[in-house]
Formats: sequence, C-alpha cells, structure tokens
Amino acid sequence: MTVRTIELREPVMARNNEIAETVRRRLAAAGVPALNLVSSPGSGKTLLLERTLAALGDELRMAVVTGDVQTQNDADRLARHTTRLVQAVVTGGACHLDAKQVDSALEAIDLAATDLLFVENVGNLVCPASWDLGEDAKVVLFSVTEGEDKPLKYPKVFRQARYAVLTKIDLLPYVPFDAEQAIGFAREVNPDLQFFRTSAQTGEGLETWFDFLRQLTRRPVPV
Amino acid sequence: MHEMSVAVEVCRLAEERLSPAELPQLIAVGLDVGDDAGLEPDNLLFCLEALLAAPPFHKARPEMTRCTGDVLRVTYLELDDDRQDD
Repeated sequence: MTVRTIELREPVMARNNEIAETVRRRLAAAGVPALNLVSSPGSGKTLLLERTLAALGDELRMAVVTGDVQTQNDADRLARHTTRLVQAVVTGGACHLDAKQVDSALEAIDLAATDLLFVENVGNLVCPASWDLGEDAKVVLFSVTEGEDKPLKYPKVFRQARYAVLTKIDLLPYVPFDAEQAIGFAREVNPDLQFFRTSAQTGEGLETWFDFLRQLTRRPVPV
Repeated sequence: MHEMSVAVEVCRLAEERLSPAELPQLIAVGLDVGDDAGLEPDNLLFCLEALLAAPPFHKARPEMTRCTGDVLRVTYLELDDDRQDD
C-alpha cells in the first residue's frame, strides 16, 4: 500500500461564495439592492412580500426570486400582486437556496429595469445561514407565535442578518409573547440589528418598512 | 439539514482535484468542521460515508476534525496508489 496525501485546506463553500460574489457584482453594477428574506416556515415572508408588492408596485420596480422545497405556491401568490416576473426556484428537497440558483434566476430578470430585488429563501432558520446568495443584506423574520428565544436558538442567522422583522404583531394580545424580551435576545446576538414590527394583516408597522425600502433604493446598502 | 448539500460539495471538490484514474484510489478525505459551522457532525459523516462509498469513489472514508469557529474546509485527500479498482 502506497499512501499519498494531497494537502488542500480548501473551504467547502468556496465555489458557492465565488458565484455569490459574481451575483453581488452584477447587482451592484445594475444598482439593484438585494434583500435575502430568511425565517422559519410560516413566519410571514410571503405575506410581507405580497403587501409590499401591492403597496409599492407603482413606485418601485421590484423583482422577486422565491424558493420552496416543493410547489410554486408562493410564486403564484406573489404574482397576483405584480405584473413583473416572479422567479420560482423549486429546490426539490434542498433546505436552502444557493448562489447558483439565484444567478440562474437573474437571467430572466431585466436588472436595468429593476429597483429592488427580494430573494425569499426556503423557510428554515438553520441552513440558509450557511449560503451566501450575493445579497446586500439578510432580513430575518420571526413572528410573535414563535418563542422569544428564537434568536438564542438560531444565533448564526440572527448574527448574519442586518435587519429583523417581528411579524404578526396583531396577535400580541392573544399570545404569551414578550416582544421586548425577544428583541433583547436578538440584540444580545447582534447588537446592530435594525428592527421592524409589522402586521401584514392590519397593516401596522408596514409604512415604516415601506419607507425603509424606499430609502434603500436611493442609497447604497451599507456593508 | 443541509449536510447532504455540503457532502456533495466536498465530493465535487475531490473530483475536481483528482483525475478519473485517481478517484477509486481515494481512501480518505480530511475535513475541518467548526463548532459554529451550522452542521451536525454525525449527519455530515453519514452523508459523506454514503457518497464516498459509491462511484466514482470506492470505499473512501471521511476523517473529520472538530475545531472552533465557523471553519468548514477540506484539508487533505489521501490516496492509495496501489489500490486497484475492483
């Protein structure tokens, strides 16, 4: 037996990260800020995007790449609120989007006629944290029907996010959820998180979110 | 949950680095996995063992080293130059 060892020290995510940088450069060249929305399933990513597309569709040219393990249901829901293309990525079992999928999805999007790109990731607070998609910033959503300690349980994704949206706040009177404690836990993990509190059902807090998006399209996203 | 995606990427790296003739000679793949890499080590080992046992590989084994931080890298490929593909 003649054993030969090839030393590598090669990051496993190197290829994904290279493609993500290509995506980032492409979006930057077109002046399109990109937000990667991540959350557990059912936190309200799709509904927040539906409300956003409906409210800002006349002001901002928004494109959406939405990922799901199976079905194009989310893409169909979103398409009802916009005449612009909604790109569906069915991962076929994978628990996250990767940079190659976003790169491919961008082929169908006219970036020169786009002000803002949303990537709606697969509902999962673990895996999407490990995959750079070439976005400017991650937005992590969690709802008041989840535990306050979600940021402590899933610190990686909260650490990586620049923005957090506490959703379904219209349900606060009916659930034992301490919003201040939840936000405190999130800031323990990431003191720089900028928070939004929204109810896509009643519209509470959405105007602040919309203003943020308007501003985002007018200036470079801080790195 | 994304351990299989990572395992597939590890195998892709090995395939990229080795010639077709070398692939069946691969006997071990060294990995550094950080405790903040977002991976369940046993699950990753399970996925790698399954993939490295199938063509174009031939009973190669993953050798994982746990470390701190979010490091995730392939550290070495070990080949048996005398091994015949049976």
